[in-house]
Amino acid sequence: MAFLLVALLLQTAPDAATFVGAPQGTPLSGAALEARTVEVAALLRCPVCQGMSIADSPSEMAVNMKHQVHDLLARGFTEEQILDYFERSYGQFVLLKPKCRGVTSLVWVLPVLVLAIGAVLAISKMKKLERPGNPAAERTDDDPYLARVRDLTRGGKK
Amino acid sequence: MNRTVLFVGLFIAAAVVAILFAGLGKDPQAIDSPLIGRPAPTFALREVGTGKTINLEQLRGRPVVLNFWATWCVPCYEEHPTLVANARALQPRVQFLGVVFQDSEEKIQGFLNERGHAYPTVVDDAGKTAIAYGVGGVPETFFLDSSGTIQAKFVGPLTTELLDENLQKAIRQ
Amino acid sequence: MTATLGRFLILASVLVSTGGAVIGFYAGRSHSPGGLRLAQRFAYAYTVLMLAATGVMEYALLTHDFSVSYVAHVGSRSTPVWVTVASLWSSLEGSILFWGCILGIYIAVATFLTRNTHREYMPDAIGVWLSCAAFFSFLIAAPANPFLSVAPVADGPGPNALLQNHILMVVHPPFLYLGYVGMTIPFGLACAALIRGRLGHSFVKPLRAALLLPWVFLTIAIMLGGWWAYEVLGWGGYWAWDPVENASLLPWLTATAALHSIVVLERRGVLKGWTITLIQSTFLLTILGTFMTRSGVFNSVHSFTQSAIGPTILVFLAAAIVFSVALLALRIDRLEAEGNFDSAVSREGMFLFNNLLFVVLTFTILIGTVFPLIVEAVKGRQMSVGRPYFDSMVVPIGALLLFLLGVGPALPWGRASASQIKRALLPPIAGAAVLFLLGFAFGARNPWTLITLAFGGYALQVTISHLRSPIMQLRRARRRFAGYIVHAAVIVVFVTIGISSTMRYTQEVHLTKGGVANVGAYSITLLGVEERQEPNRTSTLARFAVAKNGVQKTTLEPRMNQYLMMREPIGTPDVYSTIGGDFYLSVMNIDPAAQSVAVNAIITPFVGWIWIAVIVMGLGGLMALIPQRVGELRTGAEPAASDLAVGPTLGGEA
Repeated sequence: MAFLLVALLLQTAPDAATFVGAPQGTPLSGAALEARTVEVAALLRCPVCQGMSIADSPSEMAVNMKHQVHDLLARGFTEEQILDYFERSYGQFVLLKPKCRGVTSLVWVLPVLVLAIGAVLAISKMKKLERPGNPAAERTDDDPYLARVRDLTRGGKK
Repeated sequence: MNRTVLFVGLFIAAAVVAILFAGLGKDPQAIDSPLIGRPAPTFALREVGTGKTINLEQLRGRPVVLNFWATWCVPCYEEHPTLVANARALQPRVQFLGVVFQDSEEKIQGFLNERGHAYPTVVDDAGKTAIAYGVGGVPETFFLDSSGTIQAKFVGPLTTELLDENLQKAIRQ
Repeated sequence: MTATLGRFLILASVLVSTGGAVIGFYAGRSHSPGGLRLAQRFAYAYTVLMLAATGVMEYALLTHDFSVSYVAHVGSRSTPVWVTVASLWSSLEGSILFWGCILGIYIAVATFLTRNTHREYMPDAIGVWLSCAAFFSFLIAAPANPFLSVAPVADGPGPNALLQNHILMVVHPPFLYLGYVGMTIPFGLACAALIRGRLGHSFVKPLRAALLLPWVFLTIAIMLGGWWAYEVLGWGGYWAWDPVENASLLPWLTATAALHSIVVLERRGVLKGWTITLIQSTFLLTILGTFMTRSGVFNSVHSFTQSAIGPTILVFLAAAIVFSVALLALRIDRLEAEGNFDSAVSREGMFLFNNLLFVVLTFTILIGTVFPLIVEAVKGRQMSVGRPYFDSMVVPIGALLLFLLGVGPALPWGRASASQIKRALLPPIAGAAVLFLLGFAFGARNPWTLITLAFGGYALQVTISHLRSPIMQLRRARRRFAGYIVHAAVIVVFVTIGISSTMRYTQEVHLTKGGVANVGAYSITLLGVEERQEPNRTSTLARFAVAKNGVQKTTLEPRMNQYLMMREPIGTPDVYSTIGGDFYLSVMNIDPAAQSVAVNAIITPFVGWIWIAVIVMGLGGLMALIPQRVGELRTGAEPAASDLAVGPTLGGEA
């Protein structure tokens, strides 16, 4: 019996602490732990499903990973450490939220850039439209004869 | 001719087509492993049947074929004879080791009795080892060199050719 | 024999559509009425051929003719009739045939409705339509031929099991195709306007109608897709920012933007080039979408299996983009602006911001979807862009749009004095406060939810005051009335999405037979676990008695289905829907021998309102399509000039 106990104690699966250091946050428990587990699990991608997070996926692997997250949070690891740990073994592929570093930061920056440039363009277009319209502009009728005459005399461009 | 429209439009066209073209022919399901070239995470787990603890570090000194599997997985069932046959041929020069998680010891013992048993199989109870190795599903096989560095990873059922191919990468180091 | 007939019909459709396109463009150059008539006849002929080919395929499916390759691929003797009919669009080859069929119907209807009008535009429009038709017919004839002859087998595998789980599978794809494919029609009209070098005032009406009808279908289709995912996939959500989901949303965004800019075009005669750009982008995004779904490039729950069709669609997409850009570059300067804005701080000005936000939203969702491809191509490593990214980006932009939904219609048209603006913008703050306080009282604490409630309340008050204004009683205001109905529904959608996503409650429950568990106000009792044998699957289901606040309400039976042809079982959740919210059970683990089950219980408030509100959006859109005068439809004549309200009247109408 004692031998078995010792044998059990000697067993170690690879531990997160080996890879990301000691827990840097406070251990959680109860409802807060459950809530945080769902939050952090929502940031990790299930490696076998198509795009689902481990919070949503029913597959065995995902459930396994979610229990790991639960475990690590209970021991006091921070979100950053947990994400780091999974990234080491699965690669950046497992992170559903792209990191704000290096080439991946572009995906965060570009939309803001487009919004800024677009706002400038929209405002300048509004200013242009505010200016009194050119005097010869009238409602374009679709009388084909009149249209042909216009085409022929103006060469189609004002 | 509105030059701005032309250049902006053609730029967008070129960008979109180039991106999509680059994506063609790639399998979106194939994930690269970041662990290749890095030391294999060490573990000490209980062997099925004997209850002995097997420590990965003890296996240093020769290449290791580390196979993650489960009894409920159909491709694992199919690749098992290949592993057993190659283990019989290659051991003790190469060490084979199986890791099972999300399974019951009874079922594993039954599977081994039925399908053949040529190398130790350990149980990873909580699946933590699988996570440390970035295992997404089963079967997945890692090829370690004699210093304990992961040199190759293969996802899916192995054949003798594929096993040899990947093993070469581990032996060459 | 059936396969041969099908192949013949498809080949004929390739020839007819190609010939018709050439004739159309030629008639456009030669301005000959005979040429236009001939092009119209070729268009009708294309439709007849596509309808016939589709009929042949359905016949083959229903008679289980396994000598036809597609039937051998998806047919089965053990599936119910509705699944057999729907298997036409369940797999790649059949779905392209379905695309061609819908395109044929649209082209025929559009050709018929414009047969005597807009003679300067229609030949080119028909040319563009039939060119697209020719491409799709080519796809059916060559890389994706469903009519190949194969050695007949005794029975087939049936369509993908996930698609057999729910009746929505019959409804969602047809709506989606009616939306997607329909965008070809306004694309043809827009290109015709560019080729001609003018967008006349009377052409705006058909352009808008051609855009609005597919928009209605696409709106409903997107909602049905979300609803289907919610009822079938088991994770309790309805939108995952999956690449294929995004593919259906992108053209909807640009189409909605175009519908708004077309209002400005009609009132002020400006933004012609921009509106056309939006319409072209909508069509191009549908082609991009079909590439994303069928090329196997994207990792998605919804994608069809990989096939060789990807490169072909990519070539067509490239050609279509280049064609559109070239036309725009050559002709956009010829589209003369006919008017102007009086002031930027006006309803017209807000339309521009509306368009800006829609375009940014489209770009963001597009870049997020393709970004992993870019990184892999450039850096060789894989990364993911998932729900957390899209939620972070889309929620703020959505909030801005909701803000505009209130401020835009509140502002008067044209130039207004500072005091008029104040009088317009200040009162709806009451609505904002009411909804905000209500939400707060019911426990909403998430900042974005509260912002959504405030902006939503503001917009709702503005919209309701418009709906009640006396001008809306006039028959000619029907379109405007319909527009505000749609707006009201949109506000409801925003607010309920906000509430249902942040105030959701999830709980894991493990029970054995007879056990009871409490989930929020609900309590569930496991009555038993049983196995049911059906012709195409074995279902293991868990029967639960569901009570709310002590009162017995219903029985729910979430299950795991093992289909004959699939290795892994597929779970189907069961839902109890009420006005206040849904109670949702999804099986995680089930053991009939031990009579035990583990389920996920999810309470989602108000989620049913989303489906209903979107249907109202669609109905509003349909209402806007009803012509002002029935006479318009018959002769295509212009309505009386007084009906066309252009420019400000009396300092701004409601």
